[in-house]
Amino acid sequence: MDRLKAEDLKKMISIQSLTFSYPSGEFRLDIEKLSVASGDKVAFVGPSGSGKTTLLNLVAGILPPQKGSIKVDNDEINSLGDSSRRNFRITNIGFIFQDFGLLDYLDVRDNILHPYRITDALKLNSDIRGRADMLAEQMGIADKLQRHPSDLSHGERQRVAICRALLPEPKLILADEATGNLDPNNKAHILELLFQSVEDHGATLLAVTHDHELLPHFDNVINFSDFLQGETT
Amino acid sequence: MRSNRSAPILLMFVILMFTLPLKVSAGEKLTIYTVNYPLTYFAERIGGDHVKVILPAPADVDPAFWEPDDDIVRQYQKADLIILNGAGYAKWTRKVSLPMLRMVDTSRAFKDDLVHIQTNVTHSHGPGGDHSHGGTAFTTWLDFSQATMQAEAIYRALVRKLPAQKQIFSENFEELRGDLQELDKQLAAIGERLARVPFFASHPIYQYLARRYNMNIKMMMWEPNEDPDDNEWQHLQEISQEHTARWMIWEGEPLSVSMEKLKNMGINSIVYAPCMNRPENGDFLSVMQANIQNLRKAYQ
Amino acid sequence: MMDSLYLAWRYLVYNKKKTFILVCCITIIAALPLALEVLLNESERQLALRAKSSPLLIGAKGSALDLVMNSLYFGDEVPETITMAATDQVMDTGLAAPIPLYVRFKSRGFPIVGTTLDYFDFRSLELAQGDMFTMLGQCIIGAEVARELALKPGDFVVSSPETLFDIAGVYPLKMKITGVLAPSHNADDLAVFADIQTAWVIQGLGHGHKDVTRTTDSSVILKKEESNVTANAKLMQYTEITKDNIDSFHLHGDAINFPLTAVLALPYDEKAGTILQGRYLEKEMPYQIVRPKEVIDTLMANIFKIRNVLDAVILFVGSATLLALVLVFSLSLRLREREIDVIFKLGCSRATIVKLLGAELFIIILISAGVCAGLLAFVHYYDQSLVRSLFI
Repeated sequence: MDRLKAEDLKKMISIQSLTFSYPSGEFRLDIEKLSVASGDKVAFVGPSGSGKTTLLNLVAGILPPQKGSIKVDNDEINSLGDSSRRNFRITNIGFIFQDFGLLDYLDVRDNILHPYRITDALKLNSDIRGRADMLAEQMGIADKLQRHPSDLSHGERQRVAICRALLPEPKLILADEATGNLDPNNKAHILELLFQSVEDHGATLLAVTHDHELLPHFDNVINFSDFLQGETT
Repeated sequence: MRSNRSAPILLMFVILMFTLPLKVSAGEKLTIYTVNYPLTYFAERIGGDHVKVILPAPADVDPAFWEPDDDIVRQYQKADLIILNGAGYAKWTRKVSLPMLRMVDTSRAFKDDLVHIQTNVTHSHGPGGDHSHGGTAFTTWLDFSQATMQAEAIYRALVRKLPAQKQIFSENFEELRGDLQELDKQLAAIGERLARVPFFASHPIYQYLARRYNMNIKMMMWEPNEDPDDNEWQHLQEISQEHTARWMIWEGEPLSVSMEKLKNMGINSIVYAPCMNRPENGDFLSVMQANIQNLRKAYQ
Repeated sequence: MMDSLYLAWRYLVYNKKKTFILVCCITIIAALPLALEVLLNESERQLALRAKSSPLLIGAKGSALDLVMNSLYFGDEVPETITMAATDQVMDTGLAAPIPLYVRFKSRGFPIVGTTLDYFDFRSLELAQGDMFTMLGQCIIGAEVARELALKPGDFVVSSPETLFDIAGVYPLKMKITGVLAPSHNADDLAVFADIQTAWVIQGLGHGHKDVTRTTDSSVILKKEESNVTANAKLMQYTEITKDNIDSFHLHGDAINFPLTAVLALPYDEKAGTILQGRYLEKEMPYQIVRPKEVIDTLMANIFKIRNVLDAVILFVGSATLLALVLVFSLSLRLREREIDVIFKLGCSRATIVKLLGAELFIIILISAGVCAGLLAFVHYYDQSLVRSLFI
């Protein structure tokens, strides 16, 4: 699948009649209709177990829905094959995790470049290395490139994770509790950095958060309690 | 016209091809070390051109009591054969390390017939210091039947070392045996003539001679090149009361003063050289023949 | 592929201790049986070579193995002794050349071999330094003895007393070293060689002391008669044989009755050897005759059985270790579940994940193989000296 062009998109994400449940059958997610405009910063809120992370995984193509369609820029993710979905994910979607998801045995630079080493869809070359250094500069961690994650603070680790997510220039960033492990001062700062980067790259952001203080910063807030009750927005 | 120079060269080459192997085998000599001259003589007679026999003891030293230094001991160690007399001859051989398998004890065949001496009196002569003739009598070759057995031991050892030369060794040994047997025969005849005739001997080295040839010999502790002291003359006087010998057998030419004193006692002197070291003139055979001739004087 | 190897390498370097332990385990599992095989093969070769080159051995009736191990490899087990008469007996047969051996005493842990100079001709032993001993009380030493004790010609060794309290028996004899043998890569490198008579002096069968018939010190005389002088225990015996006192050294008794541990018999030909063996099979013969090669072949056969047991044990232990390694690996995977989850979410395929983990295993095995090869090369290079120090 080719890289998406921002100016061609109006709706980045469009979900119709989505039904998903885990094999154990204990949880079920039903979304009649959901859409996110391109360039929007949307927060997913709701009680634990309401399906916020599940929806992120569905949008990323990690989990297949039982029913319905998920379109990411008019491409139905759930109808793509395994390999195509993976390639789509790594070239168009950036992931940021609550626990940062960094590898302790790689230094900061190698962590940022990591996606380029685990798939043939991305090619590592000197341009990419230059861009990684630039991202690190923007995030204020250029002097930490030789260090390992265990040598960094939580805030610094999350900045590394953001750099890794942004390096392939994705159009969609999925952040799952990106500020969950940060102290209040860092939360605001990281969120600011994240928002700035998203805007600079013209990407769309879907962020799961439990932090209601941050909600005013988002363009839209989707409450998953509504889905539990069977309502859509 | 072709040159004829190549023919003589070719002939010389052919001659060399046939003679060189002989020269090589003749050059393959056994190095033999001995401890006294009689054994040296036997080894030379039997071995011929195939042996190089060495008796390192200096000519003016009695090999029985000579002691080699480390360098000479090492020469013995490297020899192809070490011919020993046995019977306690050359006691130094028991204090050094020699290769047992290359040693030949030439008196082993008659080791049960050796004469044992009961005295432990020491005496000294020459540069060797004190020594004793106590223990076992060692002039085994003066009994020519024993000398023949000693020669045979050498012959067998040579054949074991150079089996290819057995025929030559055999011929040589037979010749030597004939000579020794002739000497034995001659001495036996003299012994018969001189049965019970008492003799004195200047030195206790004639035990085998006396035993083999039935000679009645009383032995002193004198040296041919020294005039015995008064005690020794006195001792002789006392012995001669019972042992009425008219002849003193010397191992070498005695001093005229000693001979004179003996003459005054009615005792004549004859030389019977044991030939322990290489003689100035002649060889073992000629020395023994001279000895026999001297002994004949006792009844002539 | 290179990216997988790079990531795998970074992981292994970061987890040095774990990597080191894994490499050690795999190296040991691989190297141990192979190294053991090399050493056992070498020991078999050395034992067999020495035995093959020693035609016949005569000794007291009893353990043939003890006889062979003491005579050929100078082992600690000293067999029952025979006498020098056995040497004469062999000589008299005219079938073989005898070399007497008396291997009983030690000097600083190394065996003292009492023998004749013929032993060195027989074993083709050459001197690397100095000269052969000429006199009683001298000795030459093997190459390893010289190296381990830092000795050279002109130095001395002292024979060790057998027990602390047997003051009337074996006493220390100080022996001058006249030469050092060139290395021969067998038991001869680890021995002190002396004349057979020197060994008897060590035993106390011969000694040297001042001439009691001429001494002016009456306190050493117990009784003086016309034909005999008896000395008391105060009479000091020389503990070293020198040129000055060698004349006083004497053996008490007839040498033909003096002890040996064995006689090496070198038959003049195969037929003579067979005839000689036949003579010693007679019941009334007080000695036994053995072919060292046959004794060692039997020993080898037994060692081969033990080797099978050893191989089975190693296989068992190796399998257990491998299982443990598999467990470690799988536990490690479980600990890395989060990491795998992350890279899967990032877009990594399961096949690539397997490739990544496989690359780690590959590198570990590669390093282990390298270390194993190095160890084996070392063992192979030093196999002779290792076998001598460990087994023989």
